[in-house]
Amino acid sequence: MKDIVVFSGVSHPNLTERICRDLSLERGKVELKKFSNGETAVTIKDSVREKDVFIVQSGCGHVNDNFIQLLVMISACKTSSAKRVTAVLPFFPYSRQSDAPYNHKGSPLTSTKKSEYTFDSIPSTPRPMSRSDFTTSGSTAAQNNIINNNTNPSLVKSTYQPKQIATNASSVGSKGFLSITGYKSWNAQSGTLIANLLTCAGADQIITMDLHDPQYQGFFDIPFDNLYSKPLLQHYIQQYIPNYKDAVVVSPDSGGAKRATAIADNLGMSFALIHKERRHKVDTPSLTAQAINSLEQEDKLVAKSQKLIATTMLVGDVTDKVCILIDDLVDTSYTITRASKLLKDQGASYVYAIVTHGIFSGDAIRRIKQSNIDKLISTNTVPQEEHVKELGDMLEVLDVSRLFGEAIRRIHNGESVSMLFDHGW
Amino acid sequence: MTVDKTPNHIKLLAGNSHLELAQKIAYVLDATLCKVYVNQTTNRESAVTIGESIRDEDVYIVQTGCGGDAINDYLMELLILIHACKSASARRITAIIPNFFYARQDKKDKSRAPITAKLIANLLTTAGCNHVITLDLHASQIQGFFNIPVDNLYAEPNVLSYIKENIINKSPNEIIIVSPDAGGAKRAASIADKLDKSFALIHKERAKPNEVSKMVLVGDVTGKTCIIVDDMADTCGTLCKATNLLLEEGKAKEVIGIVTHGIFSGTGITRINNSNMSKLVCTNSLPLTEKLKESNKIEILDISGLLAEAIRRLHNGESVSYLFTNAVD
Repeated sequence: MKDIVVFSGVSHPNLTERICRDLSLERGKVELKKFSNGETAVTIKDSVREKDVFIVQSGCGHVNDNFIQLLVMISACKTSSAKRVTAVLPFFPYSRQSDAPYNHKGSPLTSTKKSEYTFDSIPSTPRPMSRSDFTTSGSTAAQNNIINNNTNPSLVKSTYQPKQIATNASSVGSKGFLSITGYKSWNAQSGTLIANLLTCAGADQIITMDLHDPQYQGFFDIPFDNLYSKPLLQHYIQQYIPNYKDAVVVSPDSGGAKRATAIADNLGMSFALIHKERRHKVDTPSLTAQAINSLEQEDKLVAKSQKLIATTMLVGDVTDKVCILIDDLVDTSYTITRASKLLKDQGASYVYAIVTHGIFSGDAIRRIKQSNIDKLISTNTVPQEEHVKELGDMLEVLDVSRLFGEAIRRIHNGESVSMLFDHGW
Repeated sequence: MTVDKTPNHIKLLAGNSHLELAQKIAYVLDATLCKVYVNQTTNRESAVTIGESIRDEDVYIVQTGCGGDAINDYLMELLILIHACKSASARRITAIIPNFFYARQDKKDKSRAPITAKLIANLLTTAGCNHVITLDLHASQIQGFFNIPVDNLYAEPNVLSYIKENIINKSPNEIIIVSPDAGGAKRAASIADKLDKSFALIHKERAKPNEVSKMVLVGDVTGKTCIIVDDMADTCGTLCKATNLLLEEGKAKEVIGIVTHGIFSGTGITRINNSNMSKLVCTNSLPLTEKLKESNKIEILDISGLLAEAIRRLHNGESVSYLFTNAVD
C-alpha cells in the first residue's frame, strides 16, 4: 500500500505491531519520550507529507498521559503536512459518562482497606501522583505556610492567617456534598470535550471499537467508525463453547441488554437479564464494624441514615445451564463478579464472561480470581499480557488486530467498512 | 461576548496542582474556594464534580504546569474543569496558569517537531476558556497562539523590589545583573536598566535540550555580587555552570539566582545544594513546599498578591497594565 503510515503511541505497541503485520507495513518511526519535567515529547522520524496517517493509541494505562501524547502526535503530523490523520482508539478514553456524583475518592464507589479484601468488598481508587499536600486537610496545608519559612521579614506576610473554610476537596471532608441542600452537584461529562479536543488537535477521522454509548458518535463532527467485536465474540461462542445452543446469554445489567440480545438472537440462544437496583435505601446500617471505624466520626450518622446498597435480581432461568455473560467493558469488575455470583446462586453450572474491553483496574484481577467466573474472554483492545500472567488459563484473549487492520485498509482504499460490522474478520 | 451588566461574583476554583497558591489567592481576594472534587477514577481518568452553582458567575480556575509524571493529569483536569464550568453556564471562564503548560515547545525547531504550546492554546480555547492569565511566559509570542485574550503578567516588579530591599541594601559589593543565556538577555537587561546597574551576559552553545555545553562570559564581574536572572530553573544545569563560571573565571564575590518558575525536575535540587550559589530566589508559581525541605538555599517570593490583583482588576473591568510596572505584595 502506498502513502500510508501507521504510528503507535506508548499505550499498546503490540497491537500496532500486529496491525502493521496484517497490512504488510513497517511501523512508522516515532520517538516518544518525556522531558525531565514530565512533559510529553514527540518526534516523528518518518516523512508524513501528503501521506495517510493512522495513529494507534488505546485509552488505558496512564490515560491522561496517553491521551495528551495522542493529541501531540496528531498535531505534529498535521503541522508536518499529512494529508489525513486518523486516530485509532481501540478503547476510547472517557467513554463512560457517570451520571451519579463522584464521591471524594473520584469514583461513584467507595473504598475499603485492601488487607481486609473480601469478595463483596468494593474497589479502591488511586489518587493522582505527588499529592501529599492534598491529602492533608486544607487548613494544615496552609499553616505549614511556605512564606513563614522565609527568614526575610519583608517577605513575611505576618497577617496571613488562612480561613478555616478553605473549601477545596481536601477540606470538604469525606462527607462530601451531602450537607448541601438544594443543589445537585454538577458532574463533568467529558464526552463532548474529548471529541472537541481530538478534532482541535487535527484528527480527520476516528476509528474505535464497541463504544459504551452509541450516542458518543454524535459528539464528533468528523467521520467516525465504530467497529463491532460482535462477530469475533460470536465466532468464539460457536467454536469454543461446547453445545452452545443450550447455553444462556446473560446481560449483567440492563444497559447491556441490547448488546447481549443481539448475540443471542443471531445464534438462536436463550437469554437472561440481571437487573440491578442501584440505589436502594435501607434503614439499618449494613456496614461491618471495620467499615464504620474507617469512616470519620461525623460520617457515622450520614452512613447510618443514608446507606445505599445495590440489590440484583435475575430475569430468566439459568438452572443447570451454561451461562455466557456479555458486557462491553470490565473495569473494576464489580458488576460482572456480582453477576456471576448471582448466576451460580441460581444454579448455573458454568459461567463464561465475554467482554470487549478488559481494563481490570484497581482490585479487578483479585476480585475475578475469587469470583465464580469459570472462564473470562477479553479482546486485546487494551494490553492483556499482564492480566494473562496473573489469571493464567482463566483468561483467553481474542485478537482484534485483523479487524482494525482491515478497517484501516478499507478506509485507506476508500472502500466500504460496513461489511466488517456484520461479518467481522 | 455580549455585555451583561447584571452583577456577578468571582468564583475561584482550584485543580490539584497548586492548592496552596489558590488558597492564598482566595485569602487575598477575601473569597473562598469553590467546592469542587477533582480526582481520578480507578482506571485513571480524571473525574470532576462541581458542588455549587456557578451559573452566570465569573469563574477563575487555578492550575499550574507542574508535577512531573502528573503534568498531563493536571492538564486534563484543567480542560475538564473548564468544560464542566462551561456546561454549567458560567458567564466567563478564566484559566490562571502561572507556569504555562509546554511553554518551551513553542517552535518547530526541527522537522516534524510538534508546536505543543500552540496545541495547548487551541485545547484551552476548545474546552471553553474565555481568558488566560499567566506569568512570565517563556516566549511572550505564545500569546499569539491564542484567539482569546491572554494576560501575561510579569514577576519583574516584585523581583525589582526584592533586589532593592534584600540585596542592594545589604550587600557591600557592587551589584551586577547577569543573564545566563542570550535568550534571557532582554529580561536581565531590563532589570539592570531599572536598577541602574551594570549587566553581563553568558553565551552558551547548547548541544541538546536539558544539557549545557561550552559557556563564555561577556562582561566584567570581578569582585562583584552577581544576580543571575532567568525565567525558569528546571534541571538547574545552566544555573550551576553559570555560577561556577562567574566565580572561577569571572572572580565574582557572590552569586545569587532569581528565577520566576522553580520547576526543579530530575536532580535540580541536588545540583543547587551542591553548587556555590549562595541562594536561589523563585516565585511560588509552582508548589515548592516539598522542595524547601530539601534545600536551604531556596527562598520564596510570593506572587499570590499579583495574581489576586489581576483577578480583581479583570473582574471589575479595570486595566491590568498597572501591574506590569508596579509591585504588588
